[in-house]
Amino acid sequence: MAINPEEVEFRQDVVDRETGGDTYAAGAAIRQASLWRDAARRFTHNKAAVVSMVGFVLLLLYVVIVPLATPYDPNNVDFSLAYQAPSVHHPFGTDEFGRDLFVRTALGGRISIGIGFAATIAIMVVGILYGAISGFVGGWLDNALMRFLDALYGLPYLPFAIITLAIFGVVNFWTMVIALTVASWFTTARVMRGQIITLKENDYVRAAYAIGARWYRILFRHLLPNTLGVAIVFVFLELPNVVLGEAFLSFLGLGINPPNASWGSLAQDGYTQYLSHPILIVIPSIAIAWLILTAFFIADGLRDALDPRTQEHY
Amino acid sequence: MALLEVDDLRTYFKTRAGEVHAVDGVSFAVDRGKTLGIVGESGCGKSVTALSIMGLLPPSGRTVSGSIRFEGRELTGMSQHELEDIRGRQIAMIFQDPMTSLNPTLTIGMQIVETMQRHLDLSRDDARKRAIELLDEVRIPSARQRLDDYPHRYSGGMRQRVMIAIALSCNPKLLIADEPTTALDVTVQAGILDLLDELREQHEMSMIIITHDMGVVAEAADDIAVMYAGQIVEQTSAEELFDHPEHPYTEALLGALPQLEAEGVREGRLTAIPGRPPDLLDPPPACRFAPRCPYASLGDSCTKEPPELREIRRGHLVRTAHPAGERAAREVEVAAR
Repeated sequence: MAINPEEVEFRQDVVDRETGGDTYAAGAAIRQASLWRDAARRFTHNKAAVVSMVGFVLLLLYVVIVPLATPYDPNNVDFSLAYQAPSVHHPFGTDEFGRDLFVRTALGGRISIGIGFAATIAIMVVGILYGAISGFVGGWLDNALMRFLDALYGLPYLPFAIITLAIFGVVNFWTMVIALTVASWFTTARVMRGQIITLKENDYVRAAYAIGARWYRILFRHLLPNTLGVAIVFVFLELPNVVLGEAFLSFLGLGINPPNASWGSLAQDGYTQYLSHPILIVIPSIAIAWLILTAFFIADGLRDALDPRTQEHY
Repeated sequence: MALLEVDDLRTYFKTRAGEVHAVDGVSFAVDRGKTLGIVGESGCGKSVTALSIMGLLPPSGRTVSGSIRFEGRELTGMSQHELEDIRGRQIAMIFQDPMTSLNPTLTIGMQIVETMQRHLDLSRDDARKRAIELLDEVRIPSARQRLDDYPHRYSGGMRQRVMIAIALSCNPKLLIADEPTTALDVTVQAGILDLLDELREQHEMSMIIITHDMGVVAEAADDIAVMYAGQIVEQTSAEELFDHPEHPYTEALLGALPQLEAEGVREGRLTAIPGRPPDLLDPPPACRFAPRCPYASLGDSCTKEPPELREIRRGHLVRTAHPAGERAAREVEVAAR
């Protein structure tokens, strides 16, 4: 035959001569690197993502720390202080009731971002479960679940949330989370189903079946962890959507009840006086835009960093 | 009793265009400690045969009849749940493409340990120790350090070695290697084949090597089955097959191999087999090789009745109306006249 295996046998003596006996060093990993460390390195090479990450963290710090450190009561009405321009004491000025906007924006951020994260987590849980089951089981069940999803897709986003809120009859943090989840888990479910179906065809899944792995092991150990990259990206894609949805509902007056406020309801307060005191609407709008922009850039950076197919060019 | 006995296996696939008879009446046996090579071109049903044995057919495929007996136990009627206990424990399989056969999110060590914990009653520490031994056995350098690496730090040849380590981890009695070297460099190929053969001997396994490469089976197999269009067309020991091929298809396959040393071979061209493999939706009614066979002629029995697999010599089965031996005898007869 063309190949004589005797001739291509591993020759330790030859390798030793070439490497000075240091074969183990030659075969060993240059440095221990994990998938996550590689991803972190790729992420830090993306300037927009890093800047956004810093911006995002600053926003979170502002939202968390300012209400704790402030001397002002955010709900204390004092008309003598109404409509103050930005100053050292009130960096964002005050509203029509003399309340400090610097603190109120931070508190509004707590509610907006809190609802955002809670709803995003709920969306991920529902979407991943629904999508994974649909994609993994396949066949008629997949068909049924997906046609149901198609039907829900046909209904517009906003009425869905409004109807859900109407059914609850009360608007608070948790009903808001549920309403937003109900209105926006579809895309995640679909994407997750697609992911699972693609991953199911992978050789390592066939290999796992070939070693006799049971179905739950295949699903939870081989399929879902491989969707993690996409899932993390989706968190940062869903978050701004949900925050925007909440702001929208609040702007329509369907939001959190006064005197508490989210960014959406702050914007709604400011909207009535936008000609005389534009800062009242500009500040919460910037806050919303800040969150959405940074989240999108982070999602973009994460997608590049977590995609195992991304080659290392550095 | 042979370790694995496959008898008249028929595996069909349902497609939009109709039923594809991917494996159509295949029988063979694998003795303990022996290696069977299954050779044939793409789409001849060799991989489907393997998947049928493992019970890993895609949803559209179904073993409609025949029997697969492993250590006397019938596998065809078994539930998936029962088969899962046999897969990896008694029968292990290695796939073609090592680059995609390992889960990128789990370390090499975790993937070896996973198999052992599935089938053997081992503690995590013991399983890890054994995983290091296995990596040593398949000659991964500095196995201890490399155990916690992720697959993307391994080369193709190393990954195939890891796949072999995983396959061996539970000491299976039968190893099915589906094109184990096709995706690898030629030099790496030889190393992997050597390793497989050595480990097969050490672990006292039987092996089925599936390949399209005559060179691979020549090295590794004791017996060879040549498949064409879902059927075995020739089956005998490796020596006999290479020395006295009987089926025109086998002859053509051997003729298509490059040779280094014979007289004048460097000047000639490699022969190709004319035509294409038949469409298994609608295979030729009689001999499936007839449309491409240089010895078949119209009105011949080749186009009328399907040839049976017959024993032309002791231990040499062939499915054709024109085996080389008989052709030679006829020529002598004609010349004498």
